[in-house]
Amino acid sequence: MSQINRLMKRGLVDRDKSISFRFDGQRLEGHPGDTLASALLANGIRLVGRSFKYHRPRGVLTAGSEEPNALVELRTGAHREPNTRATTIELYEGLDAASQNRWPSLKYDLLSVNQLVSPIFGAGFYYKTFMWPASFWEKLYEPTIRRAAGLGYPSKQPDPDTYEKANAFCDVIVIGAGAAGLSAALSAARAGARVILCDEDFVLGGRLLAERGEIDGKPTQEWAAAAAAELESFPDCRILRRTTVFGVYDGGVYAAVERVGDHLRKPAPYTPRQRLWRIVAKQSVVCAGAFERPIVFGDNDRPGVMLASAVRTYVNRFGVTPGRAVVVFADNDAALSTAKDLSDSGVEVRAIVDPRPDASPTAGQAATAIGAEYVSGIVDSVSGAHGIKSVRIKDTQGRMTLFNCDLLAVSGGWNPAINLTTHLGGKPVWDEARSCLVPGALAPGMRVAGAAAGRFSLDACLASGETAGGESARDCGFSPAAPSRSAPAQDDERVTPVWHVQSRGGKAFVDLQNDVTVSDVKLAAREGFRVPDHLKRYTTLGMATDQGKTSNLNGAALLAEVTGRYLGSVGSTTFRPPYTPVAIGALAGHHRGKEFRPKRLPPSHRWAEENGAEFVEVGAWMRALMFPKSGETAQETVDREVANTRNNVGVCDVSTLGKIDVQGPDAGTLLDRVYINGFSKLPVGKARYGLMLREDGFAMDDGTTARLADDHFYMTTTTANAVRVSQHLEFCQQVLWPELDVQTVSQTEQWAQYAVAGPQSRKVIEALLDSGQDISNEAFPYMACGTFTVCGGTPARLFRLSFSGELAYEIGVPARFGDALIRAIMDDGAEHGIGPYGTEALGVMRIEKGHAAGPELNGQTTAHDLGLGRMMSRKKDFIGRFMGEREALNEASRATLIGLKPLDPKMRVSAGAHLVPRHAKADAANDQGYVTSQAYSPELESFIGLAMLSDGPARYGEVVRVCDPLRNYETLAEVCSPHFVDPEGERLRV
Amino acid sequence: MSDLQSVSALDGMLVSGRHGSPDGDAGVTLTERADLGLATLEVRRWQGAALDESVRTSYGVGLPSAPTCVEGKDVRFIGVAPGQWFAVSEALPNEMLADDLASKLRGKASVADHSSGRAVVRLEGSAVRSVLSKGLAIDLDPRVFVDGAAAVTSIGHMGVLIWRDTEAFDLAVFRSFAGSFCAWIEDASAEFGLDVVTRS
Repeated sequence: MSQINRLMKRGLVDRDKSISFRFDGQRLEGHPGDTLASALLANGIRLVGRSFKYHRPRGVLTAGSEEPNALVELRTGAHREPNTRATTIELYEGLDAASQNRWPSLKYDLLSVNQLVSPIFGAGFYYKTFMWPASFWEKLYEPTIRRAAGLGYPSKQPDPDTYEKANAFCDVIVIGAGAAGLSAALSAARAGARVILCDEDFVLGGRLLAERGEIDGKPTQEWAAAAAAELESFPDCRILRRTTVFGVYDGGVYAAVERVGDHLRKPAPYTPRQRLWRIVAKQSVVCAGAFERPIVFGDNDRPGVMLASAVRTYVNRFGVTPGRAVVVFADNDAALSTAKDLSDSGVEVRAIVDPRPDASPTAGQAATAIGAEYVSGIVDSVSGAHGIKSVRIKDTQGRMTLFNCDLLAVSGGWNPAINLTTHLGGKPVWDEARSCLVPGALAPGMRVAGAAAGRFSLDACLASGETAGGESARDCGFSPAAPSRSAPAQDDERVTPVWHVQSRGGKAFVDLQNDVTVSDVKLAAREGFRVPDHLKRYTTLGMATDQGKTSNLNGAALLAEVTGRYLGSVGSTTFRPPYTPVAIGALAGHHRGKEFRPKRLPPSHRWAEENGAEFVEVGAWMRALMFPKSGETAQETVDREVANTRNNVGVCDVSTLGKIDVQGPDAGTLLDRVYINGFSKLPVGKARYGLMLREDGFAMDDGTTARLADDHFYMTTTTANAVRVSQHLEFCQQVLWPELDVQTVSQTEQWAQYAVAGPQSRKVIEALLDSGQDISNEAFPYMACGTFTVCGGTPARLFRLSFSGELAYEIGVPARFGDALIRAIMDDGAEHGIGPYGTEALGVMRIEKGHAAGPELNGQTTAHDLGLGRMMSRKKDFIGRFMGEREALNEASRATLIGLKPLDPKMRVSAGAHLVPRHAKADAANDQGYVTSQAYSPELESFIGLAMLSDGPARYGEVVRVCDPLRNYETLAEVCSPHFVDPEGERLRV
Repeated sequence: MSDLQSVSALDGMLVSGRHGSPDGDAGVTLTERADLGLATLEVRRWQGAALDESVRTSYGVGLPSAPTCVEGKDVRFIGVAPGQWFAVSEALPNEMLADDLASKLRGKASVADHSSGRAVVRLEGSAVRSVLSKGLAIDLDPRVFVDGAAAVTSIGHMGVLIWRDTEAFDLAVFRSFAGSFCAWIEDASAEFGLDVVTRS
C-alpha cells in the first residue's frame, strides 16, 4: 500500500475505489472524495512546489482555496493550467499534475541560489536595483527576472475548452454551505423562498466535514448530509456545488463561476468546462467562513508546517494524516482539537507549544490527556529543508528543547472571510475582542452569518445562519418559522493573538506566495510605506492568486508593531473581485472565435458567397467588399467593377444602410428640425439629401429621405450610424418635442435594397417592373421615389438616387424576397452587361464624385467644412444651428473639403497624410490639413484623394505637399474641386 | 402571386433534426414561425382612446398597457413600449397584416411592416428555460414571467422580443442576426439536445 498516511477509519473518501493519478510523472493512487493535496499527503508527499522568488521548497499549508503554496500545473498540452491550487482540485482518474517553478527538478532546483543572494531581493528590489542604465530594463533585467521568478506556465495555445454563461434569479442567495450556510438556506427554503446555495467545494458542509462534533445528536458530517438532502427536496432551492461566488455588484447581482467539468478528465459531452453565473438575488446571506491565520516564525514555510485546522480537515474529512509525529503551535485553545483528533487516530502528538504570555490550563490538561508535553514558549527554529525533521522549542525561561517531528500544526486564530462584504465599498471594522476584522456596512439586502461575521463557535454559526436565512425570507415577503436555536451569549473565548515570534531560524515569511518576509515589511515601514495598500504595492504582500488570505492581517499587525500604532487603526487592503482566480474563458463564454460578436448578414449574402465575394466587416454587418475573378489583383477587380458600373450597369446591396420609417402629421416638422435643410415642403414622390448636425454644430450623419405620403417619410442613414440616428430621433421625440405628432421606427431589416447604377440601369429596372409602370426620365426623374410592383406583383419601393454619380436607382422589396431579387436583377441585367460591385468600388465612385462619407463625417467637421454650408436653411431652426454659428466654426481658414490630384498620377495620396504648403517644412507648425480618403480613379487614370484643407476652396490649382511621416512617404498634389467625375451631374439626369 | 421566391429568415441557417446531445428526448424543440404577419403600431397623439376603440372593433380586444400579450381575432398584440405594440398574426401572413392594420387604424396609429424584418422562432420543451437563461438576463420563472408575458431585451448581444405562449416561448430577432442567433441556440441547448423542426 503506497498511501502510507491514509488512516483506516475516518473520512468521506470511498476506500473501495481507487483513482490513479500522476504527479511530476510519478504514478500514485488516491480515492474518490480526495483532493490532489489530500492524495499527495496520503502518499507521503510533502514537497509540492517551489516558491515565487527564492525557489524555496514548499508543501501544503491549508486545505482550501486560500492556499498560497501548493500551486501546480494541472493537465497537459493545450489544457495545461498553471497555478491551480492542489487543495481545491478534486481528484479524478488520470489526473496529471506537475510542480512549478523548479529546474531541473523539484528536489534539486538550481535557482534556489536566489535565496543566498536574497539581500538584493528585498522589498522593492526591482525599483532600486535595476535603475541604471535605463535601456537595460527592457532588454536584460525584466526578462531575467521574469524567467527566475513567477510560477507556472500557460500552454500558450488556444484554450480548447468551452465555457458558457447563465443567469439565475432568486429571493435569497446563500454563499457558503457550512454550518451557517446550511442553516440559512434551510430556514429560507422552509419559509418558501426561492433559494440559491453556492459552495466552492464539491461536498456541502464546510468545516462540518472537517470537525468531530455533534449537532442535534448527529455527527456533524451526517448532519450536513441530511441538511443537503432536505435542501435538495425543495423545488425552489437550487444548489450549486463547485461554485465560487467571486464578486458582488450593484442591484443584487452576484457573479459566480461553476466548475462544471474540472473534476472530470474531460468535461462530459456537450457540457462546458465552466459556467459563469450572473445571479440576481433580493437578499443574500454571506456564510463564507473564516481563514485560520498562521503564526510567523523563522523557516515557517518548510514543508510539514501546516495550519492546525487544515490538519483536522485532512484527518477527519480525508482520512489522511499529514504527519506521524506532531507538534502543535497555537495561540488559542480551539486548535487543541487538532492534537486530540490526531491522537485519537493513533498519531503521536509530542508537544503543544503555546506562545501566549499566560499559560493555559485547558491546553495543559489537553496535552496531558494525550501524553504530549505542554510548553509555554515559541518555535525557535525548524530543521529539514524538504520537509521538517525537528523543531526546536524555546520556553519562557529560554530553555531549548528539540522535538523530532514531521508535522508542525500552527494556529494564530481566525480571520473572517469578509472579502465579499467589501466589494461594494463596505469597510471592515476591527473587533478587538476577537482580534480580527469583521464586516462593516453591508451592501443592500446582504447579511453575514457564522464565522464570516466573527461568530466562530458551532452553536453561533447554526443560530446566526438560521436567523439570517429566516430574516432574509421575511424581507422577501415570506413568513419564516421562529428560530429554533438561540445564539449563545458569550460564545467565543477572548483571543490573545500572537502574530509573529522572535525566533532564531531563517527567513520568517508573512506572505508565502509572494515570498514576503518580516524583514521586507520592516524595510517597507522604514521607507515610509505605512498604509496596508502601499505596503502591498511595495512588497507584493497580499497579491497574486491567494490575495493574501492567510497573510494580510499578519502583515498589518507587523506594520502596526513596527510603526508603533494600534492595529485596529492601521486598516486593511481593499478586496476587489474576483475572490479567487477566474478563467478568462469563463468571462467570454460563447463569445469567442467567430462568435465573438453576432454577425449581421444582408439579404444578398448567400448569393454573394455563391459568386465568390470577399467580405468586409462593417460594424456587425458582413458586406461584400468585391467580387474578384480568377487571376485578378484586388486593384484590377475594383477597377473592373467601377468601369463596368460607369460604362454599363452594376448592382450593389445597400440594405445595410439605416432605414427609418417616419410617420405622422408632424413628420415633416421633425425632419426640418433634425436636418439642416428643409423637408416639410418636399413633394410626395420625391427624395432629398439631408445632413444632420449634433447639438454642438458638428455633422452627425447624412442620407436621403423620401416622402412616400403626406404623413409618411422614409429616412436612410449611413450603415455605421443607423442605431445612433434612431436613438437621436427617439430623444428628439421623447425629450425635446413630445408635442409633435410623429412616430418613428427602424425598418432596416424589413427592406432588401439594391443600388442599380450605370447608363443601362433603367433598362434593368424596367425589365423587373410589372407592366404598365413608367419610369422614363420624364415620369420618374432624378430624385423621384414611388411604390411599384415587380416580378409578378411583389411590392417594391423605387428611388432614383445615385451615390455613384451615374443614372441609378435603389430598389427595395421585403427582405424575404431579397435573395430572389438579386438573382432576378442579375438575370435581367445580363444582356446589358450587369456586374455586381462591392463596397470598395462603391467607395471609389463616391470619392470620384466628392461625396462625404465616414472618413469625412468624422465628428470634427461642420456643414461648412464639408462644403455644404449653403444647404443650411435660414428660414427655420434646427439642431446644431446655434452652436454651428460660433465664429471659430465659420472662419475661412478652417479645413474644408477639397480634392487632391497627385502631380504624378501613379503616386498615392495616402489617407491620414498631412498637407503643408509646397515649400514649407513638413512640421506641425505648417500643418494645414489632412487627407481623409484616397482611391485610384480608373476614369482619370490617376490616384485621387479627398482632404480637409485650410481655406481649401480658395486654393484650387495650388500645389501642396502630402506628407505621411508614419509611412515615411511624401508627394506633391494639386488642390482641386472634390467633384472629379461629371461635376455638373449630367449623367444623373438622363 | 410574386414570381420571386420568398426565403424565410432561418432558411439554410439550421439543419432540421437533432442537434447536441443525442441522449433521450430533446430538451428543446425549435420551430421557425415563418410567414407570420408582423407589424408595429404606434399611437398618434391624443388618439389612445380612439385607437383602442378601433382595435376592439376590428380585432375584438383592447390593447395592453404593459409588456404583455393579448390575443384578438387573428392578431396578437404585444405591448413593447408606452403607446407602442408589436402585432403578430398567422391568419394575416407576411405583408397582409400591416396592410390590414394600416387600413383599419388610419389616422389613429402609425403602422410599419416588419414581417420580413424579424426571424420568429418558437422554443419549447423541458429544458427551454435553462437554455434561455444562458442568454436572457430576465427571470423566466413561471410565477414571474407568466403566460402572455413579454419582454424587449437582448440575448447574446442580439436584440430580442420574447413572449410566452402557454409553455412555449416565441422569440423575434432581427432577420440579419438569424445565423448568429441559431449558432447561439445550438450552443446553449447542446447539453439538453435540440430538435429543429422545419417545414418541408
